Amino acid sequence: MWKYVVGFVAFSALVIWVLSKGGDIDMSGEKHGVDVAPAASAASN
Amino acid sequence: MATASAVGKPMTKEEKKVIFASSLGTVFEWYDFYLYGTLAVIIGNQFFSALDPASRTIFSLLAFAAGFIVRPFGALVFGRLGDMIGRKYTFLVTILIMGLSTFIVGLLPNYASIGLAAPVILIGLRMLQGLALGGEYGGAATYVAEHAPHGKRGAFTSWIQTTATLGLFLSLLVILGTRTAMGEAAFAEWGWRIPFLVSVILLGVSVWIRLSMNESPAFKKMKEEGKTSKAPLTESFGQWKNLKIVILALVGLTMGQAVVWYTGQFYALFFLTGALKVDGATANIMIAISLIIGTPFFIVFGTLSDKIGRKPIIMAGCLIAALTYFPLFKALTEAANPDLAAAQAKNKVVVVADPERCSFQFNPTGTAKFTSSCDIAKQVLSAGSVSYDNEAAPTGTVAQIKIGDKVIPGFESKGMSPDDVKKADADFKKAISTALKEAGYPAKADPEKMNKPLIVAILTLLVIYVTMVYGPIAAMLVEMFPTRIRYTSMSLPYHIGNGWFGGLLPATGLAIVAQTGNMYNGLWYPIIFASITFVVGMLFVKETKDVDIYAKD
Repeated sequence: MWKYVVGFVAFSALVIWVLSKGGDIDMSGEKHGVDVAPAASAASN
Repeated sequence: MATASAVGKPMTKEEKKVIFASSLGTVFEWYDFYLYGTLAVIIGNQFFSALDPASRTIFSLLAFAAGFIVRPFGALVFGRLGDMIGRKYTFLVTILIMGLSTFIVGLLPNYASIGLAAPVILIGLRMLQGLALGGEYGGAATYVAEHAPHGKRGAFTSWIQTTATLGLFLSLLVILGTRTAMGEAAFAEWGWRIPFLVSVILLGVSVWIRLSMNESPAFKKMKEEGKTSKAPLTESFGQWKNLKIVILALVGLTMGQAVVWYTGQFYALFFLTGALKVDGATANIMIAISLIIGTPFFIVFGTLSDKIGRKPIIMAGCLIAALTYFPLFKALTEAANPDLAAAQAKNKVVVVADPERCSFQFNPTGTAKFTSSCDIAKQVLSAGSVSYDNEAAPTGTVAQIKIGDKVIPGFESKGMSPDDVKKADADFKKAISTALKEAGYPAKADPEKMNKPLIVAILTLLVIYVTMVYGPIAAMLVEMFPTRIRYTSMSLPYHIGNGWFGGLLPATGLAIVAQTGNMYNGLWYPIIFASITFVVGMLFVKETKDVDIYAKD
């Protein structure tokens, strides 16, 4: 079990490090539409 | 066969291999889930941006169908196969379809190269993925549970649930690593393909391991005795005694589990960045830390469910979540953006509108157009995550927004030219933004004023609720159905619960917030469904931990 714990901690540390370097990324999961940039206006006709 | 009690004995090498092989497929599932979320805008630009608005609407609906509608059908198609020809070959097929369709996306020419064929093929691949995905989880859960010794099914299957976090982390590493290595421009141009292509490694390893696995002992025995179902769909859903359990599994278990899960992992992130205006990078790190702390609890609650039962843990998770969401999310506001909490208390925002001109802004595909002054006002405020009260105005009047002492008139966009709409929209937003600033509403959460340890503690608690409802769920679903129809019967309620009730949470939550104006009111969606699951589950769902899953074979 300790191997899993060490592996998980190391993997997690790597993820936090990568996120801290350039972590502005969408983590909100799968989108269910067709998103294109720029976003459509809120008051489009 | 693994029927003898094995409580206290360590896992054998073969058992570890079974869990690893099954979990790898679900890691894949989650990796793919996050790829499409993270790269949605880039994929949209590559495949859909050149389409006219009407075609884009059609493709949005098709993409929506691929994400939601198709999965339960995949559960039926592959569940049926799994119950007829076996678990091993079926979930070998599902991972092959899923993996190859992910890999092919990485090779697919974009709209600029092959025109309309590009989005059509992409949607086709998404449909295939959705179908395969519908068969993957049920296969993994059934396969692991049928290999697990009696008294350890909760512990064994709970490992599968940890793959949601691992899949997210893996996608983050690959995407961020690629993006950093090649730069934003090259990544948006062609580098986005690499994470899809990299999935072939995961596919290769998964197929190689799964090929070396044996068929589940329960299915093997049943096949040898000639007892396999000839018509699993008819047996599962055409006979009331089984259909009743399928419905109970959905309403009394997976529906509540799904909304608690979506709230803990996705709605919390959306709330932090959208409602509380915490910058994305900070919010991501705090969510990741809470996931790291919370993820081991999948194993804790899975193992605990072997001792005290699945039902008490899942029901407690639903109940505690329903009772504490409002105070926890309010505490999140105080901890993440105290200036916003103070401004909300001091200067109320009020939308004064003719109720006849206000609609329920449910817009899951992002393609609905709102033209009435009430809808536009509410949409602008909810997009800016401003909480507001509603005040009825006389029939026929144009809506207006009051911020403190200031009154901002709205506008009706119907009949206006696109240029006029654009200008009126920009002026309207600017007036609202200026008034909000004057009323003390912060444009961003101030990092200096954030209580980060408290935010992480609250987020971790939300993840622990997820682990309570999700950790024991696979074992419980498996134990509710006999071997001959298990794959079919457990897959459908899982995917309807998670795909439909869970997947619709963000869009529905947002629509409730836009409709009522209160930024916490989106929480009513998970609270209501978790409460229904608690009541139905407590009254009608039986404990299963001591069930002999071979008894009815």
